[in-house]
Amino acid sequence: MKILVLLAGVADIRFPLHPISLSSEALIQEQGSPRRLLSPFDEAALEVALKLRDARPETQIDVLLLDGCNSENLLRSVAAFCPDSLQCLQLQPCQLWDARQTATQIAELIKRDYLAHDLVLLGRELGDLDEGSIAVLRARRLGRPQLAMAQFGQWQDGQLWLMRERGTGEEWLLVDQPLLASVTNDRRNKLRHPLMKNVMLAKRRAFTHITASAPARAGLSLSQLETAPLIARGGQCRLLGGDVAEQAKALIGWLKEQGVNL
Amino acid sequence: MSRLLAVIPQAWGAQALEAALGAAQQVSAGEAFAVVLVSSQPSVEHAQRATRAGAQLIYQAVHAALGECDEPQVLAAAVAEALRAIPRLGSEVPLVLLPPGPQGEELAALLADSLDGQALGRCVALRLEEDAVLAERAAWGGRMRLALRVDNGPAFACLRAGRPRLEAEACADIFNLELHGSLPKALTLDKRESGQRLPPLEGAKLVVSGGRGVNEQGFALLEELALRLGGTLGGSLPAVDAGMVPVLRQVGVSGKFVSPQIYLAVGISGTLQHLAGVSLDSCIVAVNQDPEADIFKVASLGIVAPWETLLPALLDDLRQSLPG
Repeated sequence: MKILVLLAGVADIRFPLHPISLSSEALIQEQGSPRRLLSPFDEAALEVALKLRDARPETQIDVLLLDGCNSENLLRSVAAFCPDSLQCLQLQPCQLWDARQTATQIAELIKRDYLAHDLVLLGRELGDLDEGSIAVLRARRLGRPQLAMAQFGQWQDGQLWLMRERGTGEEWLLVDQPLLASVTNDRRNKLRHPLMKNVMLAKRRAFTHITASAPARAGLSLSQLETAPLIARGGQCRLLGGDVAEQAKALIGWLKEQGVNL
Repeated sequence: MSRLLAVIPQAWGAQALEAALGAAQQVSAGEAFAVVLVSSQPSVEHAQRATRAGAQLIYQAVHAALGECDEPQVLAAAVAEALRAIPRLGSEVPLVLLPPGPQGEELAALLADSLDGQALGRCVALRLEEDAVLAERAAWGGRMRLALRVDNGPAFACLRAGRPRLEAEACADIFNLELHGSLPKALTLDKRESGQRLPPLEGAKLVVSGGRGVNEQGFALLEELALRLGGTLGGSLPAVDAGMVPVLRQVGVSGKFVSPQIYLAVGISGTLQHLAGVSLDSCIVAVNQDPEADIFKVASLGIVAPWETLLPALLDDLRQSLPG
């Protein structure tokens, strides 16, 4: 089986945000060398693919990583998991706020270079814009069914099954035709640590870039980009003092005052 | 014709209906808005709810073949047929709202694609201005804000705006739309029980939620606490990653949006991403052993204590006051 994994990466929220501004062409400009890592959804998509390869080593994993600030380091992190190929994907123009545009660009590239891949995996939200519409639009462009919010995949009697949870149940899909799945985080797809020898090998690798283009669409424009305002919440926290037993009693008393039926 | 239309698949339940009506009320700012209720059979109750929320035009779009289907790919075909039947979409209805959440975002994108409109995704603010739709979206973990402008509509968007205000007396014009177009085949899924026994997050009045600081034993205590308080269980993204709670119970920007009366956050630091999933109307009670944790800045009530000692003490007291 051939699997294509599309990854985007996000800025690490544990570090201050790097300079981001709007260019004169109304495109996003990022500066500096921010620490960039895979989002939990990217990690989940990659781990699902790796687990399928663990079980059937003939599985081929090809990865496209969306270009961005400080891509080189992120490419090395992904390379340490030894995909069969890894390329940096540049969108031309890059307008990630326009899901229709982005889906067209990537779908055309897949049709050109990855059409034989049975399974396309990506995180359920793409990149720093938390865009959750790319997967469904890409599936439509490719004429493939889509399984949204997949959590786990496994081989059973030589056939691939993907699973997601809904309500109080699990839903399993037999992958018996080319499919696209957006993957969400789950305990079963937490990304493993790479082997140290592969980390060292990845440090010496060179990476190729690939471009996905489509004419810019009219009608939707990015007009402003600014620091988010602080959202005011009630706050003014009243701390319950005393030892733990007193705190517990005080909390139960407060819950009763709020009408919680105890 | 109204400039704002809310499309609400009835298979998505009462929470989706409320959320979409709340958003329509906020964006319309008193202006008339229309609602399209999509289902396999009309619901008088949902139509009444939309009327009481201020909808002046209600279309009951019925496609018998929809059944209980809640898949955006299937619903999109039915909704697109309904919207094509409503005259002057685009020129006079520049903005179409969908219920917030992953399915709503997918449906918004599919409709924008089918009707050659613009997909705005998950917005934090929306405004109609003359001939344009102005939208704001959060990005970079909620630290940046993007302002988008739509000049060629219609625009399809999701917005979280809390519950709608309902009037006791209201009236609306209600039309029936019979849909007959072919629908794409839904995925053939093998359904199995997963052993979930707690009520869903949607609509819960009290949510007990755990974060990175709580282990498996702690989540077992949180689950018992949630049941004893008549609430349900949630978790932060790191807790889901660690396998403490299923992803269906994830609260935050990438998980569920909850609006309980009380949100009891245990071992949760209080990141922007997590708090984006908790309604501003909810009263946050924080339990954390770190007195500097950001969660205390937004909580109404706080306890600085390790969960390892506080949760057993709480449960002991509750067992005494309410045995069994």
